Amino acid sequence: MFLRLLYQSFRRQQRRKLLAGIAVMLGVAVATAMMAVAVSVGDKINRELRSYGANIVVYPEDAALNVRIGDQQVKPASSGAHLQESSLPKIKGIFWGHNILAFAPFLYTEVEVNGHLIPVAGTYFAKALHYGSEEFTAGVEKLYPWWKLEGSWPDDESRNVLLGSRLAERWKKKIGDSLYLSGNPVHVTGILSTGGTEDNEIVAPLSLAQALAHAPDAIDKIYVSALTKPEDAFARRDPEKLSPADHDRWYCSPYANSIAFQLREVFPHARAEQIRQAAQNEGAVLSHISGLMLLISFAALLAAALAVAAAMATTILERRHEVGLMKSLGATASSIAALFVSEASLLAVAAGLIGFLLGDIIARSIGSAVFNSPINVSPVLLPIVLFLAWLVTIGGSAAAIRRALKLNPVMVLRGDVLRGDA
Amino acid sequence: MSRDHSMFLHLLRRGLTARGSRPLIALIALTVAAAIITATLTLYGGLEDKLNREFRSYGANVTVAAAAGQSLPENEIARAQNALPSGSLVVPFAYVIAHSANGDAVVVAGTDMQQVQQLNRWWLVTAWPSAEHEALIGTNAASRLKLGGNFTLNFGNKPLALREAGTLKTGADEDDRVYIPLSMFEPWTGMRPSLLEVYIPGSAPVVNTALHNLQTALPGMQVKPVRQLLSAEGAVVKKMKSVMLASTLLITIMVALCVFATLTSSVLERRRDFAVMKAIGSSQWTVNALFAGEALTLALAAALAGYLCGGALAAWIAEANFHTALWPVLSLLPVAIACSVALALIASVLPLAQLQRIEPAGILKGE
Repeated sequence: MFLRLLYQSFRRQQRRKLLAGIAVMLGVAVATAMMAVAVSVGDKINRELRSYGANIVVYPEDAALNVRIGDQQVKPASSGAHLQESSLPKIKGIFWGHNILAFAPFLYTEVEVNGHLIPVAGTYFAKALHYGSEEFTAGVEKLYPWWKLEGSWPDDESRNVLLGSRLAERWKKKIGDSLYLSGNPVHVTGILSTGGTEDNEIVAPLSLAQALAHAPDAIDKIYVSALTKPEDAFARRDPEKLSPADHDRWYCSPYANSIAFQLREVFPHARAEQIRQAAQNEGAVLSHISGLMLLISFAALLAAALAVAAAMATTILERRHEVGLMKSLGATASSIAALFVSEASLLAVAAGLIGFLLGDIIARSIGSAVFNSPINVSPVLLPIVLFLAWLVTIGGSAAAIRRALKLNPVMVLRGDVLRGDA
Repeated sequence: MSRDHSMFLHLLRRGLTARGSRPLIALIALTVAAAIITATLTLYGGLEDKLNREFRSYGANVTVAAAAGQSLPENEIARAQNALPSGSLVVPFAYVIAHSANGDAVVVAGTDMQQVQQLNRWWLVTAWPSAEHEALIGTNAASRLKLGGNFTLNFGNKPLALREAGTLKTGADEDDRVYIPLSMFEPWTGMRPSLLEVYIPGSAPVVNTALHNLQTALPGMQVKPVRQLLSAEGAVVKKMKSVMLASTLLITIMVALCVFATLTSSVLERRRDFAVMKAIGSSQWTVNALFAGEALTLALAAALAGYLCGGALAAWIAEANFHTALWPVLSLLPVAIACSVALALIASVLPLAQLQRIEPAGILKGE
């Protein structure tokens, strides 16, 4: 009898069920999509921020001080300390190797051009490397997406170079021209403008710079761009002074400090530091953006709950007559309530499931439209979302059901309380 | 006519006050809709400004440099300030290569300590110089040259006695340098600043205009935007605006449809009233006007309440998250009213059109 009532209620009152169902479905879809967006926006924006460039630098422990202002440079008493190019692929082998988005090694030297000493920076442009079976490319093309280049990037194995824009202006050189670097002929494939020191430099493939500096396998600095977690008080602790359990937790969190620590393990006698301007500030920007999205999705959740509850309350209020009829036929208040609650639960689960799928589609399309990579809704959200939908549906109906049960069935059936809840 | 009029008002009033919780539910639903529209639009409007503020912590977004080996013209700071919008920061830097007592070379920079403290907040400084002859020593310079306590630096053959105020750590070139106040740097070296680091508040077009003004104010100098910062800022602002717009649309559509469902079913529920009114001879126009009048009253009340709640919600979110105020935008009040009224009118008049096709007698008999 109970099941028949339930079945007939869904079969006969399709309009009402449809309205309530649509409300629940939309509420769940928006809640799902907003939660997914709020959770993943931090990661997506983190990747956008990484277009700023490196946030970690690695250099030899006893590297000479950089004594350079603009074009003026004093050769410091060279310590001759270098990092080894052959160790570079190991960067991808650290615990947080997958968070390393890009890196590029640099070797700085000077060459004689037309009687002047000109700084040369040797680096990777887009060099294919592999660590174990993992293939990846390293170089400035990915590390510094804001570098403005006229012409084309040189091949990493070639004797082609990029000319800083101010040097090119001074020497009146064009793309395709030749140069003699300390007597070695090279070819200019592009003019580079960065707004930084590179404008006054020649940027060459690392192998060429090593040959010019007579320093095989040597690099001075590695700039690394890593996805990191905003720094908190725990991140600033000294790893040496942590308890073993805390040390593991610190080591396994992608803080800039712990990634730098892991890089030091790969390069013996090296120092790895976070570049504070990039690392510190992106943490602040990220936590504020994630916070904003979380608060907005919380507000959306609240609005969805209220809107769905209002829709549910209206559909229940309409059914006073049924309640009156059931009561006069001898149904107890609890069996009537059970009927309504099961109806609402069925509705919440069915509409919630459709809503969840719809929310998944919405989150994906927002992700692809804005970030060019889909935002995936974690299946873990499904039970949470369904439970919330159920709670809201029942909550929205509860007050209306209680009211309907309190009415005198005779009055309701006669129509005396046509619009009264008294 | 006046009796008709008062009857109409009476019906309108009773329709709103004598139906228990039904109008309240509609009112709440409409208020939620108006509030969420106001809140998300307010946040969307304030987003760019808030994000640009966030990027302020990155420091200078423009640099002004003199040609190699030369210094900036006199009164460079005042001239730059005049060309810039208020709230800009201009910090001068001058550099020389000096030698420690052991003869090791080190870059010494002169700057305005108070200003640089405001501009470069990511600098990790143990203690800022507060007195004359106090210096800030980069961590690498301190460890490599064993600088600290009281020490002397030589420029040419002019010595300068200094005392360490604290160390500086940035992870970049600053770690290799010694920073001293410009007021000491100039008499010691006889050199004037060669670089201005400038922070201009505002969006990309504002910065570009200011850049142009700066170039006019300081002719012959190289005025350059800090490209990596502008590129990261531009990307983040653009993406966040799109995400916010999508969220705003999504939330608005969801709430509007839910409210529509609520209002429609509460109007359909009253088909008996509708039939009784028709049966006792009221015109179609009067019935429509009555239902529309109810919807309008509810919508106006909901729009006002929703505007206030939504404004408060947006202000709270801005305060909690960005720690800056976000004032309610007055121009959103008409938007909230228009949305609310349109929603309520469509949701109550559409079902009436459906009811008109049915004979009142049929409804009253319960068919």
